[in-house]
Amino acid sequence: MSLELKQKERCGIINPMYNCQPAGAQFASIGIKDCIPLVHGGQGCSMFVRLLFAQHFKENFEIASSSVHEEAAVFGAVKRIEEGVMTLAQRYPDLRVIPIITTCSTETIGDDIEGTIRKVNKMLEAEFPGRELHLVAVHTPSYNGSHVSGYNVAVQSLTKTLAKKGEPTGKINFFTGWLNPGDVKQIKHILSEMGVEGNILLDTETFDAPTMPGKDAFAYGSTTVEDFENSANAKGSISLCKYQGASAANFLQTQFQVPSVVTNTPIGIKNTDLFLEEISKMSGQPIPDSLVEERGRAIDAMADLAHMFFANKKVAIFGDPDLVIGLAQFCQEVELEPTLLLLGDDNSAYAKDERLAELEKNATAPMEVIWNADLWELERRVKEGQQIDLIMGHSKGRYVATDNKIPMVRVGFPTFDRAGLWKYPVIGYKGAEWLAETIANTLFVDMEYKKNKEWILNVW
Amino acid sequence: MPLKLLKCDVTIPEREKHVYIKEPGEDTTQYLPISNAATIPGTLSERGCSYCGAKLVIGGVLKDTIQMIHGPVGCAYDTWHTKRYPSDNDNFQLKYVWSTNLKEKHIVFGGEKQLKQSIIEAFQEMPDIKRMFIYTTCATALIGDDPKAVAKAVEKELGDVDIFVVECPGFAGVSQSKGHHVLNMGWINEKVGTLEPTITSPYTINFIGDYNIQGDSQVLEKYFHKMGIQIIAHFTGNASYDDLRGMHRAQLNVVNCARSAGYIANELKKRYGIPRLDIDSWGFEYCQDALRKVGAFFGLEDKAEEVIAEEVAKYKEQMEWYRAGLKGKKVCIWTGGPRLWHWTKALEDDLGMTVVAMSSKFGHQEDFEKVIARGNEGTIYIDDANELEFFEVLEMVKPDLVLTGPRVGDLVKKLHLPYINGHAYHNGPYMGFEGSVNMARDMYNAIYSPLMKLAAIDVREKAALEVGV
Amino acid sequence: MSDKVEQLTKFIQEKCLWQFLSRTWDREEAISGVIKMIETLQTGGQPVIETPIDKCHYADAKVLLTDINKAFSWFGELKADQLGEVLHGAEARLKQITITGSLNGELNHQLY
Repeated sequence: MSLELKQKERCGIINPMYNCQPAGAQFASIGIKDCIPLVHGGQGCSMFVRLLFAQHFKENFEIASSSVHEEAAVFGAVKRIEEGVMTLAQRYPDLRVIPIITTCSTETIGDDIEGTIRKVNKMLEAEFPGRELHLVAVHTPSYNGSHVSGYNVAVQSLTKTLAKKGEPTGKINFFTGWLNPGDVKQIKHILSEMGVEGNILLDTETFDAPTMPGKDAFAYGSTTVEDFENSANAKGSISLCKYQGASAANFLQTQFQVPSVVTNTPIGIKNTDLFLEEISKMSGQPIPDSLVEERGRAIDAMADLAHMFFANKKVAIFGDPDLVIGLAQFCQEVELEPTLLLLGDDNSAYAKDERLAELEKNATAPMEVIWNADLWELERRVKEGQQIDLIMGHSKGRYVATDNKIPMVRVGFPTFDRAGLWKYPVIGYKGAEWLAETIANTLFVDMEYKKNKEWILNVW
Repeated sequence: MPLKLLKCDVTIPEREKHVYIKEPGEDTTQYLPISNAATIPGTLSERGCSYCGAKLVIGGVLKDTIQMIHGPVGCAYDTWHTKRYPSDNDNFQLKYVWSTNLKEKHIVFGGEKQLKQSIIEAFQEMPDIKRMFIYTTCATALIGDDPKAVAKAVEKELGDVDIFVVECPGFAGVSQSKGHHVLNMGWINEKVGTLEPTITSPYTINFIGDYNIQGDSQVLEKYFHKMGIQIIAHFTGNASYDDLRGMHRAQLNVVNCARSAGYIANELKKRYGIPRLDIDSWGFEYCQDALRKVGAFFGLEDKAEEVIAEEVAKYKEQMEWYRAGLKGKKVCIWTGGPRLWHWTKALEDDLGMTVVAMSSKFGHQEDFEKVIARGNEGTIYIDDANELEFFEVLEMVKPDLVLTGPRVGDLVKKLHLPYINGHAYHNGPYMGFEGSVNMARDMYNAIYSPLMKLAAIDVREKAALEVGV
Repeated sequence: MSDKVEQLTKFIQEKCLWQFLSRTWDREEAISGVIKMIETLQTGGQPVIETPIDKCHYADAKVLLTDINKAFSWFGELKADQLGEVLHGAEARLKQITITGSLNGELNHQLY
């Protein structure tokens, strides 16, 4: 079957599916413990991203702004960084990392971030002798790439700045990419079953913060400065998302000879198999029975659903590239037909992604992959009558689904119009099982509301 | 006590000028917090940018208008799906946002071609829509694009479209407040008076400064229609672009949010002689006063009394029931600015609550004059409060409830404090009589929820007690 | 009398938004306008309504007057000269608080 890869033809965007680079850098930063990023730009660049995180997680994250104003256009805004860092250092004594995240305004003005960091480091040394506070330059002009590359740039900058040769740790670095905390938890689960020690970059499991009797628990990321330092001393690195985090792993390979493997994002059975094999190869640990059983359970659940409910259903998928491609691969495993994939930025490297060639090979219906896409590409096709039986994507596409009465499975980021989705994995065998059953339950409700052979469910 | 330096602010002593605790006998000639001043970088303030003040707060409410944001994609992405203002045309304004998707090559060579092409495409893709707002952003302001010239060229080329340009990049001004101002002044200068409204009643008003949050405008409209009053334009709740071009024909401007829209009311007075009547459209008692004033203006006192009698009869009992539960409860109002002065006495007079601390993100000194005049002694008034100040104030005042945004709300939940969304509401509308009941109900439910009490229990201690350890 | 002036001033400070309009000239006009209307209405005179702005002051005054009478039983018992003294006393206090003594840095901007 054919796979047509093309760019959106319009030059403007109607309903964006991707955010800009600084948003990605902010997401990476909140995964770090004792870290408050300083977003160097207008206040909206951080305020709205904080809001977006709060919408998705129903949690508050600490992100500071350098509050750049008009005079910066003439005089530059590096003073605002100096003030911002010193204020943070003074008022947050536990703070250990401040990523300084640039935006379109401060990149256009051309602020010298590295020079400013050198200067501020001296100021910090004078005011807080001996205090360890890492300032990390993260260049993420909003007019390049998207939140996808912004995340990638941030993880790479953090790694470059913090990684330090030391004693081998025997651990494996896992560059998660922009996955949900539920996925991170799944990675840890797999590692624990295999008896492998992982260095998770970035560990967001603790975003699921409890309300405690002692009133002392807040949402935070748990990757430490030491974890970044020790990334140079790992046995190897496995990146779960080619476009988010892999650059950092490749840097460690070049700089510190830490072998780097970029796996398919482990969504679906086959991709998870590959993932486990890579871990097994790198760690020397065998794949345990418990995971074989998990795999079996997932296949068991998927088999209950595939030909009866999923076969030949046309699926449109939008979101982050590794997620979209992984979900498409998963769809093919359960007989769903991913016919429309939307990738939201202008990364021309998508054309060379081997996973797309494989999707084409396995496709049972013609596929279209649009890059630099917006959500209007989806809406227009729906309005023009293209058959789409299921939409998978984040909440910004909700009206395409609800207005056109197409069942939709919320997945990725942000999923603010459904409760708690981010706590569940889409990766691993458990993720495959969850996806299959969530898709099924979504289709079931749709059958009932549309009275579309809903009586099948009477005796299922 | 005069202005107060909080403990968390010892290293940024200039914050002292922004924090005030009112003492007996004091008035605003003695102490008035500094406000609408630049935020100290790195303080974790709650402020947004001026672009969002224009787009998200005012322009983006219009129900029939393309919102073209000339800049990198984030400015569009981030101001979409972030507000709860429905409309009576199936929420067109909630569903779409447009971006020129500015890239590095445009930064180098200019973005005007990209803008023009994006505008034409947008009109082509939605041929029924003929109106557009264009916003500049930090990037496009810095490279010096001239969106007004582009808009003019497109208007000429397409013939049947009307475009309004807001030049308010995010770094302009110190908060969203600047964006309100730029949009207000631009609109009065360029669009008011360019279309004659159809007059259907001898009594006409503009309702200025309400944004139909969860249907607020539609509640108020119901009252005015019952009184036989035509609303030429809501600025801008549930409004059409063309409604706002006819604002010059109203006999009276009824102003609710004086902060975001007082400017256009002032200019309408200066240029067209239309008087400005400030009211509070939140609050059970306030709302009665508001309708009476508008009634008195038009000689429609009887009509106003009829509406009031009908509404009060419908909702009074519920208000009293909630008052019994809410009396004496301590509340913080941490919102944008005007809700501080709209709500503080309303919560006291209507429900017997005590407002113990208030913080404004973008209010000016005018707002602090109002809120300090209306507010309690002992209450803490803060301009542009930041995270650590919030924590410290909570320790000082120990409220039962916080009216604030979801982010701060998520934070106070960890401290076992319920919050009600003071910006977008939990289950509004909150304006008018039914709105007052809705707000009272939400606050009551939050305060009396069993969950926060359960949160405070340490099950280990409880289990220990039960087994007699 | 000064006690009554203070009571009335505090009442208006808490209740009325017109004293806090954006600029000095707006505040002057509103405070003088509304107080004058109150005096006329309370003494049974015929209010002079020549402009839409007068009408607005009338509307504000009318509602406020009802509230004042409800709040202060003494208000209705004032003789004409006492009424004038209280009202003009309050007017002067309001202007002092919101105009001459105001710390609001934006009051005298030439533009809105």
